[in-house]
Amino acid sequence: MNFKDLLIPISVSCLFLFILLTQPLFGQSDRNGERRLGSSYVITNTTLIPSPGEILQNQHILFEEGIITAVGKDIPLPAAAQEINGDSLFVYAGFIDMANKTGVVEPTLPEKPEGFDPSKPMPEIAGIHPHFNVTEYYQQSNPHDKAWRKLGFTLAQKLPLGKGMLPGTSALVIYGQEGKNNLIAEHQSIYFKFSTVGGVYPNTNLGVMATWRDLIQNARLYKKHQEMYAANRNISRLEKKPVLEALIPVINGDLPVLLEISDELDIRRALKMKDENQFRLILTGINEGDKLIPLLKEKQVGAVLTLKLPEDPSSEIPSGDKSEDFETRMDRTKEAYKQSLALAGKYEAAGIPFALTTKHLPRGDFFKNLQLMVENGLSKDGALAALTVNPAKLLGIDDRTGTISEGKMANLLIMTDTLFTEGAAIQMVVSDGYVFDYSEKPEKGSKEETTWEYEAETQGGKSTGTWKINLSDGKWTGTITYEDPQGQGMKTSSIEDAVITEEKMQFSFTVSVGSDKLDVEVSGNLSEKKFTGDMKIIGYGTFPVKAVKKDKPEKSNG
Amino acid sequence: MVRKILVSIIILTLFIGASQAQEIEKGDVFIQNAHVITITDGVKEITDVWVKNGIIHQIGKQLQVPGDVPVIDASGKFLMPGIIDAHSHVALGAINEASSPITAEVKMEDVIDPFDIGIYRALAGGTTISHAMHGSANAIGGQNITLKHRYGTFNPDELVMEEAPRTIKFALGENPTRVHGRGKNLQPRSRMGVEAVIRNGFEEALQYKESWEAWNKVKDQKNNRQVPPTFNSRLETLLDILDGEIIIHCHSYRADEIYMLIQVCQDYGIDKIVFSHVNEGFKVAPELAKYTMGASVFSDWWAYKFEVYYSTAYNAAILTKNGVITSINSDSAELIRHLYHEAAKTQRYGGLSDEEALALITINPARQLGIDQWVGSIEEGKQADLVLFDKHPLSIYAIPQMTWVDGIKYFDREEDKTDQRLKVDPEETLEPMFLHADHINCMSDVDFYFTGFGRNLFEHNH
Repeated sequence: MNFKDLLIPISVSCLFLFILLTQPLFGQSDRNGERRLGSSYVITNTTLIPSPGEILQNQHILFEEGIITAVGKDIPLPAAAQEINGDSLFVYAGFIDMANKTGVVEPTLPEKPEGFDPSKPMPEIAGIHPHFNVTEYYQQSNPHDKAWRKLGFTLAQKLPLGKGMLPGTSALVIYGQEGKNNLIAEHQSIYFKFSTVGGVYPNTNLGVMATWRDLIQNARLYKKHQEMYAANRNISRLEKKPVLEALIPVINGDLPVLLEISDELDIRRALKMKDENQFRLILTGINEGDKLIPLLKEKQVGAVLTLKLPEDPSSEIPSGDKSEDFETRMDRTKEAYKQSLALAGKYEAAGIPFALTTKHLPRGDFFKNLQLMVENGLSKDGALAALTVNPAKLLGIDDRTGTISEGKMANLLIMTDTLFTEGAAIQMVVSDGYVFDYSEKPEKGSKEETTWEYEAETQGGKSTGTWKINLSDGKWTGTITYEDPQGQGMKTSSIEDAVITEEKMQFSFTVSVGSDKLDVEVSGNLSEKKFTGDMKIIGYGTFPVKAVKKDKPEKSNG
Repeated sequence: MVRKILVSIIILTLFIGASQAQEIEKGDVFIQNAHVITITDGVKEITDVWVKNGIIHQIGKQLQVPGDVPVIDASGKFLMPGIIDAHSHVALGAINEASSPITAEVKMEDVIDPFDIGIYRALAGGTTISHAMHGSANAIGGQNITLKHRYGTFNPDELVMEEAPRTIKFALGENPTRVHGRGKNLQPRSRMGVEAVIRNGFEEALQYKESWEAWNKVKDQKNNRQVPPTFNSRLETLLDILDGEIIIHCHSYRADEIYMLIQVCQDYGIDKIVFSHVNEGFKVAPELAKYTMGASVFSDWWAYKFEVYYSTAYNAAILTKNGVITSINSDSAELIRHLYHEAAKTQRYGGLSDEEALALITINPARQLGIDQWVGSIEEGKQADLVLFDKHPLSIYAIPQMTWVDGIKYFDREEDKTDQRLKVDPEETLEPMFLHADHINCMSDVDFYFTGFGRNLFEHNH
C-alpha cells in the first residue's frame, strides 16, 4: 500500500468525530496544540493498545496536566475534562525516537592557532568534546520535530553534532507545546562515533581506537587524582580536564555510551572496546550483521536499528548489455537486500528488545520502511514495541512513558484504525498532555499534479519529453511534450484515457505528422517515482519507455 | 613493562578479544604421492603428508591411509609450504594514521577487514600468511598484525595468527619527510629529521618509564604527595620495542638511512629489526647480516621515486649470498597472487638454487615475522599451511591447485566460483568494473589536502 496516503488526513467523517464539550461545534483541527482550553482531557469509548499485544475495547483515558490519571471502562469523568470521542479510534503510546539530531546545530569550535600542529590538536579541534551538552545546541522550536510529531513521535533522544569521535552528551526532549522548555533529561549518554574531523590526529579508525583507550585510562588516573586531592591537603592541584571529567561517569558505569556504527565491522570494534574497558553500551544505526545477534545478546548490549533501509536493487536495473554472470550477481544483491529488510525480525526472534532510529531517514519513508520490516519477519507488536516500550527501557524512562497506564506521561498516538491497516491515518497526537489534531480533510478541489520526464528508445534514437498529469475530481488528465517527428522542436498533445493505480499507469495520445495521425499507447509499471513500460505506436511497433517523477523534493532530516 | 605495573590502579585489558575469540577451525587431510618441497629438508619425491587437526602429523613414503580423512591424490604435483608475505596491506580497512610522525599506539588489528576479496585471491596464489602492515607515512607507524588467510569468517579476530609476536612499522626517507615535513611543516623534513624523531621518541619513552617507576614506588605509601602520571600508549609501545617485545619492520630504500637505523638500534640495544624494500640493501649487506633479522625486498620494482633509482634485480641474490635473511614481499594485492614468480626471478638474476629461491617466500619471511617455529616449511609438528602446484612452483607455467591453512582447504581451483565475495552490498546492482586494481599501498589514507603540493608528486605507491 502507499503509506503516503496515511500522511494525508483523509476521512470526511473526521469532522464529526470530536465534539468538544466546551466548544461543541469546533470543526477545525488544531495542528499546533494552540487552542487549548484546559489541561484536562478524556478520550472516551476508545480502543486502547496500552502496550504491544494488548487490545482493550471501550476504554476511557483521562489525562490532566500531562499525566494519565485514569484508564478504564468505569472511571469517573470530570465535567471539566474536554472530551475526545474515541469511538472508532485507536489509541497507542506515542513513539520514541532514539539517536535523533533534528533541530540540533553544530557547535562552533575554537580557531586553529598560529603554527597549528595537526599531530597534537586540542581535543575540541580533533572532534573530542564529550563535555559538550546537546541542549546548548538544540533549537526547541524547529519544523522537523513538528513534522515527526505528526507521524506519531512524542519523545526523542537528541544527539549533539560534531565531526569527530566524541561530540558530547545526549538529552531527552518531549515534542510538546512550543514555547515551553521541553527538556526531559540531559547528560543522558555519551555519544561516540567512528568518525574524525580530518587532517588532524586522530584521522582514521586506527587513531580513534587508540585515542579511546588512552582517554579511558587517563579518565581513571584523573579520577584517582581527584580522590587524592579531595582527601589530602598537600597534593598538587588537579588541572581541570573537561574531556576526562566527562568520561568518569562512563568508567563508573553511571552513563552508557551511545555508540553509532555504520557496518558490522564497527560493531566488532565496539564490542572490543567494551571487552577492554567495561562500560554500558548501546549501539545505534545497526543496519547489518545478523551473525552478531547472539553476541550482542550475551553481552547485553542495547540495540538501536536504523529505519533507513537500502534502496531496492531491482528498482534500478542498468540498461545495456549484461555480462554472463549478471543474473547470479543480481540474485546475491537481492538476497543481501532481503537480509537487510529481515534484520529487525531476526533481532525480535532472538529476544533482543531493540529500538529504532530515524537518523538519516527521509520522513516519507517512515511508515513504508516500518511496513517493509513487518513484511520481512518483524511482528506488528514487535514494530510497535521498537517505537515505544523498548526505547523507553533503553532510555531508562519506562516508568514514565512507552506504555499507557495511570501515572505515565500523556504521550499518545490516536489513529483511525490499527497501526498497520491500509488506510489508517493519524488523527491526533498527544504529547506532554498537549493535543495536536491532524484530522483536517484535504482542501476542497485540491489537485494532485505530477510531472514526469520520460525517455523512449525508438527507431530514430532516443526521444525525450515530459508528461504533466493532474488529478481533478477523480479524473486524470494532462499533456505530453515530445520532439516533433518533422523536426520542428517540441510539440504538445493532450493525454487521454489515463488510468493510474499504485502500480500501473497507462494513457494514450495522438501525434500529428503532416496530415497523418499516429495513435500512441503508453503502459507500464509504477514504483514510487519510477515508471518503466512500453510505448506502442499503433502500426509501427512497440518501444521501451522510462520516466521519472519530478516533484517537490521532500526534505529529509539528514 | 610499565603496563604491568599499572595493574594495581587500572583495570587493564588483559582479556582483549578473549570473549570474542572462537575456536579456530582446524582440519585433517592426507596428501598422497606429492613431490614435497620441504624447504628445510630438501625435496621428497612421491611422499605423503598426513595432516591431523591442523598440524603436519607425519611425512613419509607409502604411509598407511588413515580412515575418515580426505585423501588428495597429488601424483605428479608439487606440495610446498604456504607462501608468506612479509609486507602486505590486504584485508585492512585503513592503512595510514598519517596525522602524526609517531603513531606507535595504533593497531592494525583494530581495522582487519575479513571481507576483502584480496584474501581469497592471495590464497589462489598460494599465499597463506600475510603481514598486514601500517603504511609508511610516519617515521614510527602503527603495530602490524600477522594474518592467516582463513577466508570465509566474518570475525576479523579469526584471521589473526595468535602465535605471531608483535611487530611495528617504521619508515625512513621520502614518505615521512614528504607527509610531515613538506606537507605540514613538522619534523621530519629531512633524513636527519627522521633519525631525530625516532631518537627523541625513544628518549621520551625512557623519561615516561621513569615517571611511572617513581609513581609506582610511592603510590601506596602513606602521606604520598605525588600524583599519578598520564598514561600514553604511544610511549608504552616504544618502551616495549626497547624491551625487545616488538619486531621493527622498517620501510627503507637507501643504504645510508638503513645504516643510520642500524646504529640507532645499536645505541638502544635493539636487535629485532627487519628492513623492508631495502633497494640499496646490497650496499650494506654485511651489516644487515650482522645486526638485523634481515631484509624483505621487491624482486624488481624501482625508479618510482627519486630515492629508489639506485636498484638492482640482483638485490635478493646478493643479500642471500651475504648471509642476510632475505624475503621477497608483495606490498600489493596483485603481486601477492604470484610471489612464486617473484621468487623465480632470483634464479635469472643471481642464480639462486630452488631451495634458496623458495626460502625467500616461505621460511625466511617466517623468520622475519618470528613465526618460523610454526610455519614456513613442511615439517612434522608445524602448522599445515600448504599449497599444491600442478608444476614446480618456480616454473612460469605453475598454477596453484589447492591451498590449505591449518589443514582446512580454503582454495581449490576445481571449486573456484565466479563470485567468491563473502558480503554483498544490497544496493549494488552491478559490481563496479576496474580495468586495473588500484594497489592498496603504503601511502593509503594519507590526506594530501593539507599539503601545498600537486597530487602528481604522490602518485607512486611504496
